[in-house]
Amino acid sequence: MLDFLENISLDYDDIPALVAIRQKGKLSFRGLPSKKTEAFKYTPVASVLTEDMFLQSEEKCDEEHCHCHESYFDFASYEFHFCNGRLHEHFHLEDGLEASSMLDAVTAHETSKYLNQTDWANFPFAALNTAYLEQGLFLRVSKKLDKPIAFIYHNKSKGFKNIRNVIVVEKGAKAELIEVFEGQNEPYFLNIVNEIFISKNAELTHCKLQKESNSAVHIALQSVHVKSQGKFESYTLQTGSKLARNETHVFLKEEGATALVNAAYHIKGLSLIDTTTDIEHISKETTSNQLIKGVVDEAAHGVFQGKIHIAPNAVQTEGYQLHKALLLSDDAAVDVKPELEIFADDVKCSHGATSGDLNQDELFYLCSRGISEKEARQILTSAFLNEAFEGIKNESLKTLFRIS
Amino acid sequence: MINGNRRMTNKPILEIKNLYAKAGDKEIIKNFNLTINEGEVHAIMGPNGAGKSTLSHVLTGKSGYEVTSGTVLFNGKDLLSMSVDERANEGLFLIMQYPVEIGGVAFMTFLKHALNAKRKYNKEPELDTMAFMKLIRGEAQKLDISQEMLKRAVNVGFSGGEKKRMETLQMAVLKPLLSILDEADSGLDIDALKVVSQGINDLRDGKRALLIITHHQDLLEHIVPDFVHVFSDGHIIKTGDKNLALELEAKGYNDFIKEAQC
Repeated sequence: MLDFLENISLDYDDIPALVAIRQKGKLSFRGLPSKKTEAFKYTPVASVLTEDMFLQSEEKCDEEHCHCHESYFDFASYEFHFCNGRLHEHFHLEDGLEASSMLDAVTAHETSKYLNQTDWANFPFAALNTAYLEQGLFLRVSKKLDKPIAFIYHNKSKGFKNIRNVIVVEKGAKAELIEVFEGQNEPYFLNIVNEIFISKNAELTHCKLQKESNSAVHIALQSVHVKSQGKFESYTLQTGSKLARNETHVFLKEEGATALVNAAYHIKGLSLIDTTTDIEHISKETTSNQLIKGVVDEAAHGVFQGKIHIAPNAVQTEGYQLHKALLLSDDAAVDVKPELEIFADDVKCSHGATSGDLNQDELFYLCSRGISEKEARQILTSAFLNEAFEGIKNESLKTLFRIS
Repeated sequence: MINGNRRMTNKPILEIKNLYAKAGDKEIIKNFNLTINEGEVHAIMGPNGAGKSTLSHVLTGKSGYEVTSGTVLFNGKDLLSMSVDERANEGLFLIMQYPVEIGGVAFMTFLKHALNAKRKYNKEPELDTMAFMKLIRGEAQKLDISQEMLKRAVNVGFSGGEKKRMETLQMAVLKPLLSILDEADSGLDIDALKVVSQGINDLRDGKRALLIITHHQDLLEHIVPDFVHVFSDGHIIKTGDKNLALELEAKGYNDFIKEAQC
């Protein structure tokens, strides 16, 4: 596997700031995780990666004529398009929003306060992402935005797509971000890291739809830092890919910071979807809520690893976590690993996990009113998943998550 | 005075012949016979634990029961070979004693699915949202169901009486040929039943039939049956008119059954 990595040549090795960051990534990278790596024990990423997935896409798209550049959502105020992992760099912005390509931001030394705020030694894919740093967006929001920002990832070719975004929500600002990942049936490996910084009294709602083809491997990490009275809400729906891991690591750094991390996955075939969360309550009076719902059919496999860590002085914190899965076939499986690490007194914490089939009484009730079993199953499955997205305030965004 | 003021055509809607059925390994329905004609209201009464509910479950096709012999014709067709949804679309409707709460499924969405399933089954065009809303608002008003109640998830957060009202609304919209009102165990809610009986009485048009399965005579004060059957040991041991229910009430089931078996 490491041979594949050596095939990747890097551009821009004449920019010292960039070379220094990449070097940091290389030092943190200790090889791809194996079955023995605790954080990946249910998710054998290395076994699904193939040589094709590490090819570098030769052609850079012609931005003027690439249809990816066309408007995707009518409700979004600002759209950023990534075509085969490369950012379309033509965007026009309004007041309150600043954006530049990652390369420009690094060259201008704007990123030093933000990039690599975590030691990636235990995050092999984030280390890899850093070692190959080039593509991505540096975004700064400094007011309350009325309409959502959209990041659209169009993946049309095989190969390695390495993306790094930094999103800064300044003091008192507020934004909604929707990320959409879609792709054609090509073997590729998308490795994305979003480093998110929510300042005092700021708010970010992060929505993510991952509906890639079942030839794709999708590895994503959200590393989120929340300051005093800051609020992070995240809603993720994954329905695609051969193997996907969506990891959300939240640091509730100051008093009153809150996080809501909800997710759902709906998979069949041989897909594997891994939802990993780690919420670190570092300061007192911080709150987190997690609701993860999975529907697993055929021989698909769901993984949920959820950690809540409460630091010694994080008193009067609340951390709640619940994972519920529906297993619709005998071959479907879920592995669930909840972890609570509580080092403070005077806290409220809970976790729970359930798995089972659809409720037979509910199914009978719907059928007894004339609804076919197939339709009744769909109705109940959608209702089950939709519970994770009830909290989305923006109706246009909520509609995207409504499964029917 | 069995027929009251209604005229009956004697066209059978439900014909159960020599029915035997098991729940698990236990034979519960034994040589059961019953014919219900258009427009008739029948009540089946019996002691708790006699297996009355098994009958409604077998008729509606709930899983967990096995019919070992006998036939059931519904509107002339073999009921037992139909799936649960086919039975409903043919015109069978079960008013449940404890309707299940289904979180996350909006009542209106559910009822629209149900009505359109029936229309599709009958080769009628499906109703669009506008036409559907208009129909439901009209029917809901008659049953004193508020807009707010219509917006909730199926049966979620409703009192017993409100649940019954929502069941009755479904019945009014789906217009079944035969409704089965299963109040088999002791948890009887008279206020709830007043609502249902009003709804059922509104549907009594000389064609639609009703089968009430109950433990209590009280229910029959609100919906006056044409026939009362006493159920014991898996079958009907005696049939009469509404006065039979009063007689049962006065004597108690045990004495009555002993007497009938002599």
